Amino acid sequence: MIQWLNDPGNWTASGGILDQLWSHLQYALFALVVATALALPVGLLIGHAGRGRWLVTVANAVRALPVVGLLILLYVMLAPHIHGRGDTVYLLPTEIVLILLAIPPILASTVAGVENVDPAVRDAAAGMGMRGGQVVRRVELPNALPLVFSGVRSATLQVIATATVAAYLGLGGLGRFVYDGQASQNFAERDAGALLVAMLAVAADLVLALAQRYTVSRGVSGRFSRRTLVGDPVATADAPPSTHTA
Amino acid sequence: MKKALTSALVAVCATALAACGSSGSSGSNGLSASGGSSASGGGTTIASKLVLGGSPEFKTRTDGIPGLERVYGVTFGSYKTLDAGGPLTINALKNGQIDAGDIFTTDPSIPANGFVVLQDPKNLYAAQNVLPLINKAKASPGVTSTLKAVSDKLDTNTLAQLDVHVITDKQDPAAVAEGWLAAEGLNKTGTAAQGVSVKIGSANFQESVLLAEIYAKALQAQGASVTTRLNIGSRETYVPGLKDGSIDLIPEYSGALLVYFDPKATAVSSADVYAALQKAVPAPLTVLGQSSAQDKDAIVVTKATADKYHLVTIADLANNG
Repeated sequence: MIQWLNDPGNWTASGGILDQLWSHLQYALFALVVATALALPVGLLIGHAGRGRWLVTVANAVRALPVVGLLILLYVMLAPHIHGRGDTVYLLPTEIVLILLAIPPILASTVAGVENVDPAVRDAAAGMGMRGGQVVRRVELPNALPLVFSGVRSATLQVIATATVAAYLGLGGLGRFVYDGQASQNFAERDAGALLVAMLAVAADLVLALAQRYTVSRGVSGRFSRRTLVGDPVATADAPPSTHTA
Repeated sequence: MKKALTSALVAVCATALAACGSSGSSGSNGLSASGGSSASGGGTTIASKLVLGGSPEFKTRTDGIPGLERVYGVTFGSYKTLDAGGPLTINALKNGQIDAGDIFTTDPSIPANGFVVLQDPKNLYAAQNVLPLINKAKASPGVTSTLKAVSDKLDTNTLAQLDVHVITDKQDPAAVAEGWLAAEGLNKTGTAAQGVSVKIGSANFQESVLLAEIYAKALQAQGASVTTRLNIGSRETYVPGLKDGSIDLIPEYSGALLVYFDPKATAVSSADVYAALQKAVPAPLTVLGQSSAQDKDAIVVTKATADKYHLVTIADLANNG
């Protein structure tokens, strides 16, 4: 497997690792963007209004469907309607399946995040004269952001891992190596493909962790550097920080 | 309702996916379209304009893409990795995502869609004649002659038609077997296999089950007492079973069986494979007379494609078009 990964030809060839990595990212990214665009606003609304929680239950129930089964079902339903060259007939079922997989974690965690905003904070926002939309955007979303991120990260892990099935429908992606390796009994290729998928998922999670670190308000995450801690007399004093020795 | 829903889905998502699709697909077509480039110098071949689809292993198998190039000088424009003659390949061929597919010769989709099987005069694909693999102890003259009568009547088209009944129309394999034997006059009661008890097995796919039922009904008509153990699994499971007597007889395919017993075998034509197989089969097993029915890989195109490019054999794909 190491040998297979170390062969530069396997990386740069047409249909090699770089090509498939790019395809894999495209499939996953498209699904995640669509799923977030759908689930985040709906989740905020449900959390804010406190109604429609059944939608979360429904979305969670959809997760119980086996991915490959749904994939084949959608393909068989769509195939008679799409003619001619091109991959649309394979892309549609793949993306639908991935989007369905990504929606529940994002939706559920967004709802939970908004619901768990301290009622006192929400009251204070209303007391300051904020309207419903303002409360959602400026108070509830920032406060719910850590949980929203946990949902998006969990969805990302699942989608990147599951985008492997794109290869089952004749598309590209890192799953190509898993399926081709298995079919041609090139087990080094198969194992390398699986390893690459896992590494990609972990890498994507790290990127999102970084994004979370810089987008979540410090007031929410409680991540203060010691110097700016409220109540620290030195940090609040006029003295330049360089002269301060802890 | 369902139809409206699907077409709506198609409309909404197709545009959104178009961008993703055009670049996403490039990676999966591992073949470089060298046929159309200046390298050959002799104009463009028909094959270079076509997309071939088939199983993942077909890309690297010696009788897959490398074999097409070596034996026929045929290089397709690109290769789409789908499945081994399954629904993906058949749908893709039907709906024009691919122009040619690697499909098995007795596949029910061939008669159902009017697909054209391109002839393979150079035997790129080794012969896969249907024949009975049997424990010698049970191969009495009566059993042998009964099964030979069945094999003599069976050919590829017949088997494909019977597969349509079993696989597409979901009819009971036993009933289909009985119907065919009756139509061929092979169900006349006799005494050729009187007193023999035979345990007939089958591999775990429909055609094997159907063939096992055909053997079973034919032997029963000749007075044998028959029990069946269908859907056993792969060769690795049932060949040991044949040796230790847990089953006595199973329908087999000559080429695949030869490679199983002798991985280095090189015979490709029906006669050569059969001769080599008779030598390669280990005791206490033997093979009986083979039928002309073959279930093997084939390059299959739609009727429209065959007419447009005047395709009869695989070699025609290498012509300039």
